[in-house]
Amino acid sequence: MMQDRMTEDRTTVFLVDDDPGVLKALARLLRAGGQEVQTFGSPQEFLAQHDPSLPGCAIFDVAMPGLDGLQLQAALSAGGTDRPVIFITGFGDVPTSVRAMKAGAIDFLAKPIDGKQLLGAVAQAIEKDKAARRHHQELAALRQRLSTLTPREREVMTHVVAGRLNKQIAHALGTVEKTIKVHRGRMMDKLGVRTVADLVRLAAQAGIEAAPPRQ
Amino acid sequence: MAGSFRAELVKKSPGPIELYEVALDTARVQDVQDEEPFVEYIRALRSGRKVDLIVPVGAPAALFLQRYRTILFHNVPMLVIGADLRRIPGATLSDNDAAVLLDLDLPAYLENILRLRPETTDVAVVVGNSPVERFWTSELRRDFEPFGDRVHLTWFNDLTFDEMLARAASMPPRSAILYFLLSEDAAGVTYSQDRALEKLREVANVPVFGMGDYELGRGIVGGPLMQTQALGQEGAEVALRILKGEKPGSINAPSIVFGAPIYDWRELRRWGISEARLPPGSVVQYQQPTIWQQYHKEVLAAIGAFAGQTLVVVILLIQMRKRQQAELSLKESDDRMAFAAASTGTGIWQLDIVADRLWTTEYCRSMLGLANDATPTMAALIGAFHPDDRAALGESVRSAIDRGMPIDGEFRVVAADGATRWFATRGRPRCDENGRPIRLSGIFADVTARRNAEAEAEFQRKELTHLLRVSVLGELSGAIAHELNQPLTAILANAQAARLMIGEKNPDLGAVSEVLDDIMQEDNRAGEVIQRLRTLLKKGERKAALVDISDLVDSTLRLLHGELVARKIHVDVALPDRLPPTWGDAVQLQQVLLNLVMNAMDSMNASVPSARLITISARAGSDGSVTIDIADRGRGIDGAAARRLFQPFFTTKEHGLGLGLSICSTIVKAHGGTLSLRNNAERGATATLMLPAEAAMLAAE
Repeated sequence: MMQDRMTEDRTTVFLVDDDPGVLKALARLLRAGGQEVQTFGSPQEFLAQHDPSLPGCAIFDVAMPGLDGLQLQAALSAGGTDRPVIFITGFGDVPTSVRAMKAGAIDFLAKPIDGKQLLGAVAQAIEKDKAARRHHQELAALRQRLSTLTPREREVMTHVVAGRLNKQIAHALGTVEKTIKVHRGRMMDKLGVRTVADLVRLAAQAGIEAAPPRQ
Repeated sequence: MAGSFRAELVKKSPGPIELYEVALDTARVQDVQDEEPFVEYIRALRSGRKVDLIVPVGAPAALFLQRYRTILFHNVPMLVIGADLRRIPGATLSDNDAAVLLDLDLPAYLENILRLRPETTDVAVVVGNSPVERFWTSELRRDFEPFGDRVHLTWFNDLTFDEMLARAASMPPRSAILYFLLSEDAAGVTYSQDRALEKLREVANVPVFGMGDYELGRGIVGGPLMQTQALGQEGAEVALRILKGEKPGSINAPSIVFGAPIYDWRELRRWGISEARLPPGSVVQYQQPTIWQQYHKEVLAAIGAFAGQTLVVVILLIQMRKRQQAELSLKESDDRMAFAAASTGTGIWQLDIVADRLWTTEYCRSMLGLANDATPTMAALIGAFHPDDRAALGESVRSAIDRGMPIDGEFRVVAADGATRWFATRGRPRCDENGRPIRLSGIFADVTARRNAEAEAEFQRKELTHLLRVSVLGELSGAIAHELNQPLTAILANAQAARLMIGEKNPDLGAVSEVLDDIMQEDNRAGEVIQRLRTLLKKGERKAALVDISDLVDSTLRLLHGELVARKIHVDVALPDRLPPTWGDAVQLQQVLLNLVMNAMDSMNASVPSARLITISARAGSDGSVTIDIADRGRGIDGAAARRLFQPFFTTKEHGLGLGLSICSTIVKAHGGTLSLRNNAERGATATLMLPAEAAMLAAE
């Protein structure tokens, strides 16, 4: 249990630069700033070894032989990984930075890089990654709870979310108010909500739409 | 024309011949009554002399004599030379006349231009406006008419000379100038043919083609030409036959037609005309002239100018005379020679070794700053030279006197005003039948201008080589800035890391020390980038040292690293472990490599990134030479461009100067090596650079 909590909090910075001197120095700076760092000497090495499940962000050099930084990011998202990326470059030309920012980069830093700025960008990127992962986890838990509902309970839920009274729901579903009351109670229990307001929020989060009014 | 005839006649005649020349400027003679003073002059000249033969040179002179034959030279045989068949038809000649005529093939002049430069669309014909030139204008117009659909002809006969010069200076591209005859322009101003040709050639922006062999070497490209040499020879033969008593009317001398086409190598080169275009059997002259040839030509040209008459009518009166008169004319000939030599800045001297007597031309003495009235001695002559050069000159003269060796060298003289002048000094000993030198003849020619020009050219070449290196680095500035930025990035990151590390509660000083080591290493790396730049930017003398080709390739690729990455070009290097060292200037050789690799890079601009590959390989020859191949997969070399790759200012790049390969080739040649480019079988091109073994390069130094 203790071990699990540690793993959850640990984040990694994935650093890719083809220049060994720069790679070593930046990794050292990030570590001195309290970050865990994995270094890669080429884009190919990164794509082959990178573990997408590890929380954290990536720092890509733009000018690299073979695959440049922007292409590497494109390859990463094409593979289904949306890791926040910070670009670093020796050229720092405007068109490239615009393209990078449009592609969702956290920051675009020109070499030589100011340490505070880099560490700040990394903190921001890690925060973004954490939020994304948290959101992802919540959604997964919610889906899990929704999957325990019976079809009837799910149907009742859509009517409750639409703001209907038990009597109206019973009428719509062709049954008696008492039966609806039981379904409604079980559904609320399974989803762990007390009030209709909580239920509406949950439905919105899960993307469940309210039942349309009867014709 | 008259010159070569006279020379041949004197050479071939068994006895002494007395010649009288009368030059009439026909260009000025427009009306028959204007001729009267000339008639009177010739009548006075011939009175009291027995004339054996009259020789009109050129058609105007022949026509003039035909008009006044009975008054002036009744019953004297006449030999017409150098007139064109068209001007003096055989029917107009009497029994007492012989003729060596010209048969000018006018269309051949145009055909020659079109053969050498098939792209020619415009030809300007330089022809004057005197009566004889008006005749030729109409002949040319008629004979050139069939070419009307191939070239556009412009006629200069209605222009003043200044207008001709202006037109010649701004001819359209793909045009040529045919310099035919010009003794009088449309404004009625008369010109000397030679001067007019030279002035025109000076300003012309297109090749100038000429009409006669006497123009070769004065700026015409050449081709089939009127043969004044052959004319002189044939004329002299016929003259001697008549003087021996043969009946003129029975001599049927063949007309002189064009001989083998003759070309001036320097002009071919200047206009980029390949020798492959010349018709078979062509003669190319003035190839890489040695100093002696150059000097020799100048003297000949000066004599030609002195005796030169191109459209001036010459009548030669020939008389068999006694020896003393011939000697008199020898004295005249000496004077002429001295005059001709002086007019080209040449001093003549002769040393009678047996009598130890030195004779010099007056000009020669004034060149050396010797007193004009002094009887010069060889010692005084040598003493006139720069103190540092006297020993060498003295030694040279001594070995000529003692061993019959020719003198050949360039020595300095400090003039009275303190300026240093260079004199080319040549001497040829004449030996007696026992092989003992008895006489030493020589010349001093002032070659200061050439020396200065050479020094200037060498200086310019060095400047250009350096400028080109600077401009290459300018092109790479972005990539080089990036190369410098990398170590700076590492240094800053390391320093900031170290700062964070020492701020910790228990700083790990061992780790901090490692960081400081890395900072120093990265600083060295930045220093190396700057050093590479500084080396290439440095201006200076060529320095020869042992050069390791592997190091050179490595350093070149480091310089280009940023640019290669930015342009997504991959470089494969396949060098053997050990290459023999070569000898040369590392900076210049690196410049060559840099240029060749950058050319390879540029050739692949349009290729897809995955196909952008440069392969650099090297191998050692069994003779110790090293050959380096730089192969790309670019667009290759266009067939038409292939032959012009090494020419200055030829470029296929949009912003190229066209000097890269030309300079590379110069550098490689100076190292005794070779540089060639060829297309690959599949794709792209390969540059091959061969540098000879160390010993051979030392020899090339």
